[in-house]
Amino acid sequence: MRSKEDISKLLLKNIPILLFVLVFVIFGIFSPKFLSMASFSNIILNSSYVGIIGIGIMFVLLTAGIDLSVGSVMYLASASTGLLIANYHVPTVVGVLGGIAVALLVGLINAFCIIKLEILPFVTTLGTMTAGRAVGTWMTHSESVNLPKTITSLGSQKVLGIPMAIVLFLLIAVIAAVFLSKTQLGRQIYAVGNDPEEARKAGINNKKILFTIYMLCALLAGIGGIISVAQIGIVNAAFGKGEEFNAIAAAVLGGTSLAGGSGKVSGTVLGAVMIQMIQSGLVYMQVDMYIQPLISAGIIFIAVFLDSIRARYMAKAEARNIRNENLANG
Amino acid sequence: MSEYVLKLEHIAKSFFGIAALKDVNFGLRQGELLSLIGENGAGKSTLMNIVSGVLRQDSGSLYLNGEPYQPVKPSDATDAGIAFIHQELNLFTNLSILDNVYINSFKKYPGTPIIKKSAMAARVKEVLEAVDLKVPPETIVEKLSPGERQLVEIAKALSSDPKILIFDEPTTSLTTRETEKLFAIIERLKEEGKSIIYISHILADVQKLSDQIIVLRDGQITDNDKKENFTIQRMISSMIGREINQLYPDKTNHPSGEKVLELKDISQSGIVHKINMDVCKGEVVGMFGLMGSGRSELARIVYGLDPHESGEIRVHGKEIRGITPQKAIQNKMAFVTENRREEGLFMEFTIMDNLSLVSVPEKAKTKLKIVNNDSVKESTQGMVGTLKIKCPPIEKNPAKSMSGGNQQKVVIGKWLLTEPELLIVDEPTRGIDVGAKYEVYSIINQLASEGKGIWVISSELEELMGICDRIIVMGNGEIRGELLREEFDKESIMKAAFNQNGKEEA
Amino acid sequence: MGVLPKKTQTKKKNPKQIVQSMFLSEYFIFYLTVICFVCVIPFVPKIITRSNLLNVMSNLWPLLVVAVGQTFVLLLGGIDLSQVSIIGVTSVIGTVLMSDSFNEGIFSKTPLWGWLIGPDGGPLAGSSMAIPICILVMLLVGTLIGIFNGFFVAQFKMPPFMVTLVTQMFLLSFAIFLTQSRNVMGLPDGFKELGKGYLGGIIPYAAILTLVITVIGYFILSKLVLGKWIYATGANETASLVSGVPIKKVTIFCYAFSGFCAAAGSAIYSARLNMGRPTLGEDLTMDIVGAAVLGGTSLLGGKGKVTWTFFGVLFYTILFNALNLFNLSYYTINIVKGFVILVAACLDVVRTKLAVKISVQDEAGV
Repeated sequence: MRSKEDISKLLLKNIPILLFVLVFVIFGIFSPKFLSMASFSNIILNSSYVGIIGIGIMFVLLTAGIDLSVGSVMYLASASTGLLIANYHVPTVVGVLGGIAVALLVGLINAFCIIKLEILPFVTTLGTMTAGRAVGTWMTHSESVNLPKTITSLGSQKVLGIPMAIVLFLLIAVIAAVFLSKTQLGRQIYAVGNDPEEARKAGINNKKILFTIYMLCALLAGIGGIISVAQIGIVNAAFGKGEEFNAIAAAVLGGTSLAGGSGKVSGTVLGAVMIQMIQSGLVYMQVDMYIQPLISAGIIFIAVFLDSIRARYMAKAEARNIRNENLANG
Repeated sequence: MSEYVLKLEHIAKSFFGIAALKDVNFGLRQGELLSLIGENGAGKSTLMNIVSGVLRQDSGSLYLNGEPYQPVKPSDATDAGIAFIHQELNLFTNLSILDNVYINSFKKYPGTPIIKKSAMAARVKEVLEAVDLKVPPETIVEKLSPGERQLVEIAKALSSDPKILIFDEPTTSLTTRETEKLFAIIERLKEEGKSIIYISHILADVQKLSDQIIVLRDGQITDNDKKENFTIQRMISSMIGREINQLYPDKTNHPSGEKVLELKDISQSGIVHKINMDVCKGEVVGMFGLMGSGRSELARIVYGLDPHESGEIRVHGKEIRGITPQKAIQNKMAFVTENRREEGLFMEFTIMDNLSLVSVPEKAKTKLKIVNNDSVKESTQGMVGTLKIKCPPIEKNPAKSMSGGNQQKVVIGKWLLTEPELLIVDEPTRGIDVGAKYEVYSIINQLASEGKGIWVISSELEELMGICDRIIVMGNGEIRGELLREEFDKESIMKAAFNQNGKEEA
Repeated sequence: MGVLPKKTQTKKKNPKQIVQSMFLSEYFIFYLTVICFVCVIPFVPKIITRSNLLNVMSNLWPLLVVAVGQTFVLLLGGIDLSQVSIIGVTSVIGTVLMSDSFNEGIFSKTPLWGWLIGPDGGPLAGSSMAIPICILVMLLVGTLIGIFNGFFVAQFKMPPFMVTLVTQMFLLSFAIFLTQSRNVMGLPDGFKELGKGYLGGIIPYAAILTLVITVIGYFILSKLVLGKWIYATGANETASLVSGVPIKKVTIFCYAFSGFCAAAGSAIYSARLNMGRPTLGEDLTMDIVGAAVLGGTSLLGGKGKVTWTFFGVLFYTILFNALNLFNLSYYTINIVKGFVILVAACLDVVRTKLAVKISVQDEAGV
């Protein structure tokens, strides 16, 4: 009886991983090609930029905030990089740094509005999302920007046989994980997400925390955008559109709560890979192009649904029994 | 070296021109426990917030070991060796005990920002041992009971090795056993030479623990003496500023034998077990029990807010299956919950909207349920008059603009507008001042005289003895005893409620 | 704090007080709209021409009806991101039913071909009742989608943001899937009238549809018990539960109404284009939520009004009309759009703070 309960608790606790394995097995059965090493490395490669952005968004979600501007930041950063290199002939490194600087500028605007002007994160980033994309189309005259070989060759470069994008993805994930679990600032992010008022009372500088996370989110969105563009080689006007939702979905699928205070880097990585796995799996299974997004959305819905059931069940299971049966009267 | 570790001289503080503290003077000696008592709003919190650096006094000075002391932020107080253990638990439930203790002062590997857990774990273990809590420092706070969390709070306070500890109502969320454990720890801390300021409403505890007692009223110290010279009677009269000849109204109700509510074998595992009770017309039934005895939980089950596995709920003899709050209201039940702010009122809504919310569907006669504004206005104004609610114009002003006592009357009034036959009130006088308490008791008495059945839940035994016809004692989710008014006896009720200790030792 | 009426009402106000009371008024955004409008006239006199004003109005109606629906969900403290896709999906479903011909080469690949549509159009092609039936079907579909959203939010306590985000993604893909990303043409002549026609040459049909729904929305919130329940649920769910408010039903109703309103907006947008388009509502989230929030509706729930949303939409439409008249580029307009949202939100923060400050001063008798 007891062990049965424990098992169901264990299962519920690990729903993200279970779902991941389940999706993996199903696709593997229907399309053996899916299980090949090449396809697997491809999935991780393709999920790298969503994963990086998802980690950034997760920082924001940890404080119960939200950042809708990441799609526009991706676009702005990579378009700036492309324009700097193509039109102003700056060295590649300077172009990339320039793109990242633009991303950080948007992060700064977000942070300023949210911290100093006290505007809700949803409204702030909705504004910067619209304005950011508009600035991007204005810069590019809504034309596509081709990126030079120096950048695209980075995209195909490998380190020890592993594609550069994957290396960067893993590196960022590890740094983010260490940052969150092993530094004071990281722990304080969780504290602020749990209860901002108590955090303030405990002497934590909430403004500093919020500043850090919105800047980090913009930074990672910029990096993600450039990594993605290094693979595609071209930035069109719709680049990055809707990626904010993929990134949020990745974080939430990985167990990050929209209410703040809980979430892990490993979960977000898993979530990002899962989204990509579903998309690639559907391609491998040669599912109709128009049906693929329907199935993806359906699976994400089930994941969110299971997560909410799990949260409710866990709350019930962990609720304190006020009555001690051993002391019962007769 | 001064005689006092902490001394306050002529402290005054006002908010928006209203004085919260006037010329407060006192001193705390080493190894002494000083209790601070007073009604809500007497200025206890303001005073302690000044000592701990949250607020700054307008005039007057503080001295620490004879040296001038002026904290401007909470960390100044911590650095000076003063630790504050708050009433509400200030822990981050999603983090570990260790994280909570060191949240703003993690030890790191030299030259890196990386946290060095090993450097802190030993200290955390030490302070956890000091409070007798046997869990590893990495335990996530979420997994601990409220009592254990309170101990973590104390451990956290001890980690900075303070000389002075301030406890603000530390026992409100504790069970009896946890409270006893806490008192043992406090004794030990005193023996170690720490000085303690203890704030509490539970006068018996104050009498048991204190060396010195200070009474605050309206921002002034009205009484300050050694514990030996204080009786509970003297504490109360110093607190409320007059001799208490009558704390409770004369009873005018006459219980009839007709049962409004009957519970048969209500059980929910882990919460309550085989509860049988009833409430008659015109009767005030008290339910006494300590925190965690299942008293509020039982009321929530009966009202349909929480589920129950087995048993029957009967109203006027008719069984109600699958009870929900809506069904409860249809069957003329009303529930004044213990959390006025969270569950009773809509603070931003107008007083009129608050008063009319539950009764408005009944007053809307058309099929579309159009709000009948005239009747709402008339009935809510009437209720303000009936309950003597002191408030600004009710159509325009939000509920938060009233005092706690009047807010409580609004909650009661909102239910009375539904003309209930059974009124469940949970901790009806918590956090309201003595004058308002008397008025609430009068309302309860009046309603019972009109033939309504009333079920009062309270952790203040005197209050129940003053207003009830019958008291049911709960403990460990069970009914431990039942006494009629003529049998009321403090000792036997307490014995029944505390019964679990005796059993355990046996 | 006394029971006496405030004396300031009888005193004569100085100009500073008038500005302050306007700034703090719940109709602040309306005053702002009027001021903006008057200020623009000298620069672009064209703004007060009849044709321009008609243009403003025709942009106003569909956005208003959708935003009214969104207001209901925002009042709960929720959000409905799926409205934009409901617009697309109902646009497709409504129009395929009444289209009179489909190009076989293009539409034979769609999942609807053969059983619902054919070379001779949809099942209602040529029917005299086609337009009203199709609009009813659109409204029904929108409502059902809303019920779906509301059910999962209410029953399983799923975060509204995620539920409606996923339905948004799903429905957009579904709408595209239905027509294989083609637009639906060949609609009956009468349908166009809903977008551009006038009843008796004076009142636009779109205005009638929108105003009827808006007035219903206003009526529900301000006159019905249901309205009280919606505010209560949004302000404090626990207290509402204790007070016997059927919070699940209330929640489902609000999402259903939001879907209903989105479908009504879709009918107007589709009629104006005279076609069914799966991506019709794309990019509107900003405009819908923005207009509601500009009006003063709180994203945290419990605070908002249909009239506020009306003023928010009015401000939004007039502002962008003016920007268009200045001959600004599309990008600039979008930059300004983002900026305006931020400024409006910022003003709201300032107003709230000022209001609190003033009420504290009143209480202290300063």
